Amino acid sequence: MSTKHADSAKQFLYYKGSAQWHNETLWFVRHKRDLVSRSLPEWETLRELSSQIKRHTISHLDTYLEQFAANAEANGAIVHWAVDAKEHNDIVFNILKKHKVRKVVKSKSMLTEECRLNPYLMARGIEVVESDLGERILQLMDQAPSHIVLPAIHLKRQQVGKLFEEKLHTEKDNCDPTYLTHAARKHLRQEFLTADAAMTGANFGVAATGDVVVCTNEGNADMGTSMAKLHIVSMGIEKVIPSYQSLGVFHRLLARSATGQPSTTYTSHYRKPQAGGEFHIVLVDNGRSKIAGNPDHWQTLKCLRCGACMNTCPVYRRSGGYSYTYFIPGPIGINLGMLQAPSRYFDNVSACSLCFSCENVCPAKIDLGHQIYKWRQDLNGLHKADPMKKYMSYGMKYVFKRPVVYHTGLKLAPAINKLPRFLIYNKLNAWGLGRELPQFAKESFSEMWKNNNVKSVKNE
Amino acid sequence: MNSREDILSSIRANLSKGFELPMQHIETISYPDKTARFMEISTAVGGEAMLVKEGEDINALLRSTYPHARKIVSNIPEITIANMNPDMVENPQMLDGADLSVVRGQLGVAENGCVWIPQDSKERAEIFICEHLAILLDKNKIVNNMHDAYHDLTFNDYGFGTFISGPSKTADIEQALVIGAHGATSVTVFLI
Repeated sequence: MSTKHADSAKQFLYYKGSAQWHNETLWFVRHKRDLVSRSLPEWETLRELSSQIKRHTISHLDTYLEQFAANAEANGAIVHWAVDAKEHNDIVFNILKKHKVRKVVKSKSMLTEECRLNPYLMARGIEVVESDLGERILQLMDQAPSHIVLPAIHLKRQQVGKLFEEKLHTEKDNCDPTYLTHAARKHLRQEFLTADAAMTGANFGVAATGDVVVCTNEGNADMGTSMAKLHIVSMGIEKVIPSYQSLGVFHRLLARSATGQPSTTYTSHYRKPQAGGEFHIVLVDNGRSKIAGNPDHWQTLKCLRCGACMNTCPVYRRSGGYSYTYFIPGPIGINLGMLQAPSRYFDNVSACSLCFSCENVCPAKIDLGHQIYKWRQDLNGLHKADPMKKYMSYGMKYVFKRPVVYHTGLKLAPAINKLPRFLIYNKLNAWGLGRELPQFAKESFSEMWKNNNVKSVKNE
Repeated sequence: MNSREDILSSIRANLSKGFELPMQHIETISYPDKTARFMEISTAVGGEAMLVKEGEDINALLRSTYPHARKIVSNIPEITIANMNPDMVENPQMLDGADLSVVRGQLGVAENGCVWIPQDSKERAEIFICEHLAILLDKNKIVNNMHDAYHDLTFNDYGFGTFISGPSKTADIEQALVIGAHGATSVTVFLI
């Protein structure tokens, strides 16, 4: 009856205090986004423009990718093309092997999570150090991110304090965030100084100039890439945008949508390799080109990966990232998971109340909720529809097609109000779990109408 | 080369309709006093911007702003208090432990406190590795927003540039804001 999402959410909610904190903290981030967006009169124009630029770019993706690659190569970058995750991992490993790299520092990249790059490299003897603080914490804990922008949002300071005590030898029981962050700064500084290569993701690839643009608050991408002479970028093919003119639009939306900041601290533009170094860009398809042709779901390619849809989602906030079976949670993750493997990730489509709040905050105006609604219609075809709900639908179809049965049922319904609790609140009635049902009205609306008991209320 | 063709032909096979590129010029907020707005937002993002008075000695000002700075990195000839030239170091690791770096910004952005810094020395690390970052910026080079910034900015031959808005920060532990993640723990823009 319940999906994997619902089962995991139950565990998340068992810890009431942290569940409430999670909900309120993400709502606070959403609120900051509201404040900063309302300070710009042109905010809605920017969202519409962003949506249209992305739509245009995706519908000319081949042209823009070729342009991007040509310009990047003219700047001295080495561009690689990877059909799938495996090819991406092979390409990265071969570059590292060629340069005899023993240690690589990485900045945050959801694409390398998608490709499962870290375990692939570590199995081949390469030390991989995540350098975003949240990602580093998770790496030391052997956990995955639970949010795409705030990866360690599910953890409490005490857990981080304990972890650092063990791994970084910080003071016992000191879990002050400033103290812990500065301990991580010292620890990771050593990693930056001694790494042989740096890897980053890409927020944008600018076709007209060949630039790769990376946004961070910590400066970890910058530290990594300015220490090591070898820089490898993993970039999904949908990250390409036409020009600086369009970058202006996206830049203004990204940080405001993500964390409510007017800009990230760093917006770095990588155009040429360092003197005496190499600059590699791996363009990854891994299913994206096919999504471009999917009439119901192509819009997922417009995503800027800002995480605003998660922060606003009432289900995400109250169930946490780990309740979803796909590595990207929340509204966008539900859709991306279904596009990757519907029969594997169908559990997540239940994690939506169809409130459409995600669509109202998305800086690329992706129809996230409508897409989830469509996936639900497809469940039966995938043989993943809930049998209980199916029988209920058959039952309702039978009743609604037969007015006599319907009206008789309606007349008898108030009798249910008087039934003993155990007959109503039991396992057969999912609607009675964890909530009180409303009372059936003594008189139905159509009866009230017939008896002239419906009064119109005039607006004053 | 094969994968390149595979990806491009898969895209072409899947594309149906071409959508036009919209007009990207829009009416935007503009600030009557860009300098005042820039200074205000710089503080809001955890940094600082200060006006250098006419005829004021920049070296003396830097010295008094950073009285404890010992290892000072810059390749700007006028910055005579600098004692390490990033063009002369053997490798970027040698810049570790820098108390202060002094770099030139090309333009400032009034809407978000960003300053565009095109790499202007052999080691771009000078911008990130220091404890304190001092950015020298012409006060007449402040634009309203990112549209204008992307219209105006240029690169040097090094082919790297970055917008910086305030000091390095993180909130990855319980969303508590902490200044000084990996980059400079303080950023001050000196408007000249």
